[in-house]
Amino acid sequence: MTAPTSGVTPSFDPSRGPTPRRKRRFLDANDAVLARVLLAPTFLLLLVIVVYPVCRLVWTSFLELSLTSGLPPRFAGLENYVSLATDPEFWTALTNTLLITLITVPAALIAGLALALVANLPFRVRWPVRLSLLIPWAIPLAFVGMIGGWFFQSDYGLVNDLLRHVRTTRIIWFNSGWLSFMAICLTITWKTSSFVALVLLAGLQTIPDELYEAASVDGAGVFRRFLSVTLPMLKPSIAVAVIFRMITSLQTFNIPVTMTRGGPGTSTVTLAMYIHQNTVDFLDLGYGSALAVVLFLVSMAVTAFYLRQVRAQP
Amino acid sequence: MKLPAPAALRRFAAFAVIVNGLFPAVWIFLTSLKTEAELTRIPITWLPHAPTLENYVRAFHDQPLAIYLFNSLAVALLSTALTLFIATLAAYALARLEIGYKDLALGAIIAVSTFPLVTLLVPLFQTMRTLGLLNTYAALVLPYTVLSLPVCTLVLVSFFQSIPVDLENAAMIDGCSRVGALFRIVVPLSAPGVFTAGLLAFVNSWDEFLLALSFNSATSMRTLPVGITLYQGEFAFPWPVISAALVVGIVPVAALIVMFQQRVISGLTAGGVKG
Repeated sequence: MTAPTSGVTPSFDPSRGPTPRRKRRFLDANDAVLARVLLAPTFLLLLVIVVYPVCRLVWTSFLELSLTSGLPPRFAGLENYVSLATDPEFWTALTNTLLITLITVPAALIAGLALALVANLPFRVRWPVRLSLLIPWAIPLAFVGMIGGWFFQSDYGLVNDLLRHVRTTRIIWFNSGWLSFMAICLTITWKTSSFVALVLLAGLQTIPDELYEAASVDGAGVFRRFLSVTLPMLKPSIAVAVIFRMITSLQTFNIPVTMTRGGPGTSTVTLAMYIHQNTVDFLDLGYGSALAVVLFLVSMAVTAFYLRQVRAQP
Repeated sequence: MKLPAPAALRRFAAFAVIVNGLFPAVWIFLTSLKTEAELTRIPITWLPHAPTLENYVRAFHDQPLAIYLFNSLAVALLSTALTLFIATLAAYALARLEIGYKDLALGAIIAVSTFPLVTLLVPLFQTMRTLGLLNTYAALVLPYTVLSLPVCTLVLVSFFQSIPVDLENAAMIDGCSRVGALFRIVVPLSAPGVFTAGLLAFVNSWDEFLLALSFNSATSMRTLPVGITLYQGEFAFPWPVISAALVVGIVPVAALIVMFQQRVISGLTAGGVKG
């Protein structure tokens, strides 16, 4: 496309042919105006559903606003943040959320890499393996949580049934805080490794065969080629997968809710669950907002830190 | 990459990947065919002894599963349509028009995709409550549209860029407006891209749970994940019946995936997507 001729005078432009402007409508006016019209719905939506709510969130976090009390909102300064800092359940939820991220993101990355390497093998029939990566990705998280809960169920669950062969007493997974936590982490890792695998598979497919051939000629073995060719070439895909996994795992909600409902006690409560509880169940919007602001800041900090690490590497 | 692994090893690896990916879904399907008596047998049985569809009948009969299914479909289809429409317009501007703030606009759209949805929960809950939109489709359709907008825009931008500009110019010479050329030439030619973007938006909506649970908890407005989860909590619900309900919720997306595997893969890779 040639540069927009913004004027009203139809300057001669051979690419447009001899009678270009006869049926001209207002949307043809020029690219700049048209672009604004076309982008308007997107930015209007982002303004209404993202920008305005975030501003309102920050503002509400400084208010005492509880819908159950019936009192009008009162400016409370940092009160919500002070009570948050002394709220043990908040610290539990924050620790759990960070632990889930620290455990499941690397675990899903390793599992996803293994899955992607297998899926990238030159099989004659490729669809069964591909399908096995897509199905876990497509099953809703809440369903995965319920299925996980059923797998780890103490009486009739599959996991205990398999463990019967190696131990005599059954494990009551959801009575123990850390066993519940591990069960949740395993389930999250299973669910999310398929997404990681799909992203990495796309990266693997862009690595030219010549690189492997050149490495082979130089006498590199399988592992050497993996370390010197595959991993470096895969770095951008790994970065994309890790960043999205980190952001989503800081928001972990569906799987713990459907597997343990945060129990036993508060041992598997995540920050997102605590925000949901304070907002929707207790209708304490001021406190819920302060919690959400903290999650937002953590998320931004993690993303920024990770991006810096990625860029810092040569 | 071409590993020199022996064929047997490769086949074993493929088998392991297939079992890992499909087993949980297959297991839930098998569970849904078992009777309750069989389910509480120790050691557990693998294949159902007397397969029955009774659980499916009960899943629809004991709870308003049909309504949940309808709600999920309605919300997913409405938000997919809205996302596609808005993303098509934006993607065309970003792919074709010469605008100075293109990078800025793309950056803003991508930034939104890294945004924690949970933080929108409180203010959106406030807004929806004030506007009386709690327990309506709109409460979910609008946020879901935003959720899928970034990835759909990126997918469409890359497809639009692959359409030769000459085709559009030819249409405009024949008297078509730019917008006309977009909808008569570019969109039909990018049908695979539009379809891919639509699939991703549909799966996103089908999966979403937090907002659905928070905004639409009235029984008649629940989507499938919310309906099945809450029902399980409200009643001591027999597992075979829940399994049947889960299978009902998985089949629509699984069918889409099976039919359009390649599209989904290409879409997921077009713009680093949420998982």
